[in-house]
Amino acid sequence: MNYLNDKFLFFFKKIGSVFFEVFSSIGEIVLFFVDFVRYLFIGKFYAKNFFLQLIKIGYNSLPVVGLTSIFTGMVLALQSYTGFSRFSAESAIPNVVVLSITRELAPVLAGLMVAGRSGAAIAAEIGTMKVTEQIDALKTLSTNPFNYLVVPRVLAGIISLPILVFIGDIIGVLGGYLICTQVLNFNPVVYLQNTYNFVEFLDVFSGLVKACVFGFIITLMGCYYGFNAKGGAQGVGMSTTYSVVSSSILILLMNYILTSLFFNL
Amino acid sequence: MRKVKISIKNLSKNFGDKQVLNNLNLDIYESESLAIIGESGTGKSVLTKCIDGLENYESGTISYENIEDIKKLSKSKKNNYMGKFGILFQNAALFDSLTVEENLKFCKKNNLKKILKDVSLPESLLKEYPNNLSIGVQKRVGLARAILKNPEILILDEPTTGLDPIISKQINSLIKKLVEKKKITTVTVTHDMQSVYEFSDYTAFIENGSISWYGKSNEIKKKGNRSLINFINGIY
Repeated sequence: MNYLNDKFLFFFKKIGSVFFEVFSSIGEIVLFFVDFVRYLFIGKFYAKNFFLQLIKIGYNSLPVVGLTSIFTGMVLALQSYTGFSRFSAESAIPNVVVLSITRELAPVLAGLMVAGRSGAAIAAEIGTMKVTEQIDALKTLSTNPFNYLVVPRVLAGIISLPILVFIGDIIGVLGGYLICTQVLNFNPVVYLQNTYNFVEFLDVFSGLVKACVFGFIITLMGCYYGFNAKGGAQGVGMSTTYSVVSSSILILLMNYILTSLFFNL
Repeated sequence: MRKVKISIKNLSKNFGDKQVLNNLNLDIYESESLAIIGESGTGKSVLTKCIDGLENYESGTISYENIEDIKKLSKSKKNNYMGKFGILFQNAALFDSLTVEENLKFCKKNNLKKILKDVSLPESLLKEYPNNLSIGVQKRVGLARAILKNPEILILDEPTTGLDPIISKQINSLIKKLVEKKKITTVTVTHDMQSVYEFSDYTAFIENGSISWYGKSNEIKKKGNRSLINFINGIY
């Protein structure tokens, strides 16, 4: 009987500890965010670090985002053709391509790609600084680690993601255009006219707003998990993994929330 | 007349269930060099991190001159307090994305060449990145960075760990020269008895999270307790 009681208690303790860990992590992330907002307005702004991060997160991610967008646009055009040709609605392909790319695919795919590339790099870099006492050294050199490391990265993420997504929008539409005009024999002028006439400001704007939020999530998660890295190489590896996984999940969650909000506009 | 710079009373620090420091009492005097020795994992580095404000502690007090307890300081005052310390970290902790010059410029924009000369390093090193330097050179740069801002207290965390005997000797003589020249209050965490004898006026021996022996470094062999004598003779 006692044995069963112990097993029963152990089960509930396990569930309790998981919930406790999840909620304490959420609390820590919220506090980290509050600190970010606070240090955004107080303390020194490291412009050099900010521009360096713009290059690292934005410019250096351009090839990955560009490739993802062009292939997505091409696949989207082919798949749409397969479906739409069954009820003679091929003329709607430019509209579907531009709407899907600007509203959904470019921001989400760019977000996921940048989370894997730059989010992981941020977590690894800051995590290494944490375990090798470089962050402690910053504190003793009268440099606030939040001002020096977090603020430039998060700001760079918020600014560079929309730019990347806007470029991704253009490249994605170009991918669809290439397939439709070169493979499916669409009239190039009609395709571009259809695209231009159908797309609205809100379609592009909603994608760019999403990109801002995703850029914020990716960089904040990277910095948070980097700051909380423990131990040696293994701890840094774990912080990188957690950063990418949590950013990806949050991107998908926020994508739904933002889509719902824009759906009502 | 010795003047107390930092006074530690009944300091306790835990990491989860593990108690690292247990009711530790210690006074650190102005312009003196104190060595903290003890077995690995006895809390020597944790103690220095509590002293310089990098770690919080559960109970007890650390008072610094007219500050009653550093734990009660506001964030901005704590930052000012931390600025009084120059720290040589165990692995130097140089910022690896910056050159030696940029690392040093964190503290001071000029006189970098002079400080490099003080730690017996050539000027050509200024443009190098820390990853291209040996650990001995990195520690010298770390030492230069620590003393560059003219700290009130210098903390040296295992300055000779991981170095060969020749480089260790060079680093010890260098620290001795700097400590004597600048008359800075110095706290050194070390396993290297050569560091203790060479430049430390006093020694504190940590055992089970508290100080089990404190006295003049040149009296360790004469007056040290059994555990300390066993420790320096390598008997456990």
